[in-house]
Amino acid sequence: MRSIDIHAHLTPQCFWRATTDNHDWHGLRREQDAQGHAYAVIGTQRQQLPPRAVWTPEQRLADMDSLGVDIHVVSPYSGFYNYHLESRIAIATSRDSNDEIRDMISQWPQRFAGLATLPMQDVPAAIAELERVMVQHGFKGAMIGDQINGRTLDDPQFLPFWKAAEQLGAMILFHQGGHTVVSPRIGRYHLPNSVGNLADRTITFATLVMGGVMDACPDLKICLSHGGGYTCYGIGRIDRNWHTRPDIRQLIPQPPSAYLRRFYYDCIVYTEASLRYLIDTVGVDRVVFGTDWPYDMAFDWPVSWILSLDSLTQDEKEAILWKNLERLLGL
Amino acid sequence: MRTIDMHTHLVPQCLWRTVDAGQPWYGLRAESGPGANTLVREGHHIHMPGAKMRFTPEQRLQDMDTEGTDVQVVSIHTPLFGYELEPAQGLQLARDVNDEIASMTRQWPQRFAGLATLPVQEVSAAITELERAVTTLGLKGAELGTVANQGLSWDEPHFLPLFKAAESMGAVLFFHPHPVDNLALARTDKYGISNSIGVPVEDALLVATLIFGGIFDACPALKVCIAHGGGPACFGMGRMDRGWQVRSEARLHIQKPPSTYQRHLYYDCVTNSEAALRFLIDQVGVDRVVLGSDWPFVSWDPSPGGWVQNLSSLSAAEKAKILWQNLEELLGL
Repeated sequence: MRSIDIHAHLTPQCFWRATTDNHDWHGLRREQDAQGHAYAVIGTQRQQLPPRAVWTPEQRLADMDSLGVDIHVVSPYSGFYNYHLESRIAIATSRDSNDEIRDMISQWPQRFAGLATLPMQDVPAAIAELERVMVQHGFKGAMIGDQINGRTLDDPQFLPFWKAAEQLGAMILFHQGGHTVVSPRIGRYHLPNSVGNLADRTITFATLVMGGVMDACPDLKICLSHGGGYTCYGIGRIDRNWHTRPDIRQLIPQPPSAYLRRFYYDCIVYTEASLRYLIDTVGVDRVVFGTDWPYDMAFDWPVSWILSLDSLTQDEKEAILWKNLERLLGL
Repeated sequence: MRTIDMHTHLVPQCLWRTVDAGQPWYGLRAESGPGANTLVREGHHIHMPGAKMRFTPEQRLQDMDTEGTDVQVVSIHTPLFGYELEPAQGLQLARDVNDEIASMTRQWPQRFAGLATLPVQEVSAAITELERAVTTLGLKGAELGTVANQGLSWDEPHFLPLFKAAESMGAVLFFHPHPVDNLALARTDKYGISNSIGVPVEDALLVATLIFGGIFDACPALKVCIAHGGGPACFGMGRMDRGWQVRSEARLHIQKPPSTYQRHLYYDCVTNSEAALRFLIDQVGVDRVVLGSDWPFVSWDPSPGGWVQNLSSLSAAEKAKILWQNLEELLGL
């Protein structure tokens, strides 16, 4: 039995190295508080980094061994999207971060695969970087945010990006960076993350579908992290909106639910009942293994959790843990 | 089998009389003159499509007879709350609306029950009006937005006396979001997403805010019902539990995981699919799920009660609880 994790982040070693002794990494800095917690500082934003974020690839491999995870499809740290900065900075940090993932893949090809980070505020540059890593370095795709400086990804400016991703066969993993739709309402109790991430992913599903991206790019591969958020549970109301509003109905030929199986969803839904519901709604061939390594929200024992679920058959467990991603990503 | 519907909206006749006479109703004017179904206040439009929005109580009763609904629990259409008004104006709006709802429940006590609207921009006035509504007018509680005035969340400490008062009166609080002007607009105004996704996310966030805010520890007997099945709160509760485990700020007010509080609340059955309703029942317990129709905005096949009756995954006992038993007990009907 293998296990392939599509949701495992990297805070690149080049950031840690560059920011020692108060130096900066393309303008990004690092601070430490009295308790020893590390923070990445980008302009006025200060984001805490979890203890495992500093780990080297060797330490990461040891942790993967302990967790029983064979392959990390390594994706960047969403705090370093840098979409709000000048594109030359995002281009530089993206290249550095992606080059580090490239080195991990080439040194441990049996243990790592790669998803790039891209300077999405500059669509031609994002396409060029995606092409570079896919063609030259064998990456499997990229991870991007649910919005780029306030624009959702159905905005016409991104269509060339989607066409390029489709043509390159890239898997695009959606993952929020920073604020979610919940953040302006309430910042307490971790709700911008625990509710907001799921709300954002649902809006991403709906905008890509009703914005026509999925029709324009029939071979596009998209994975919605955190189980696609509330998409599968809330699809009935999204369908009703399409059925009852002629202006929305004319946008796409089929109801939004007909597009559920055009997406992939990681298994990060935390409860067996919700995972079962996701599988029953989208099909087990659309659900893939993800852990959210190395954050505190990650599963403690992700492989064991899947294996322990009574309501999943052995075939379903294998599909989720490795077979779907093996087939999809050619691993 | 009895049918009691918790989730039915009212645009009060006092509003139509005023705007049709060319007068503003608490700042709201008919956009295109008398007879219009779009109201405007300071550039904000409230669309109320469909003839049913103007129904008199008698017309409403005919519609209920056609549907086979015995009792509607009536509350005002949420864009009409007027939380942004000056407190004195807000109180007067609430009194006008609540008096009209009470006139319906007094004239047809077997067919209508009522939920008040409250001027939450001044909590002391809201408490006074809730007390008048419950003790003098005989209403069953109040309807509140998923967000209070000025974008405030209900866990703000100054709202706690309102919840304490509702608890001591045995009043039911029914929470319902704005159908369009809600948190999803911060991301997009396209494709009707603020209604199709923003509304249930508002419901889920409200469930989360009340639970994490410690409202059910402070008011253990408080009766709360959430519209639209509480949105996807029950589906996403696992992530909230994980947040509670790993983040101290999530444990500020509650000593137990948020999922353990789910059964303190009631949820209507406006879940838009049988699978989602079955999931809700399995997570929160059938004692906590009640009939709601979202009248007159949603058309049910063949009717709100008929839709529930036809669900193959629910037992007859479960249907009876949802259709009437739970609300009969909760509201004392």
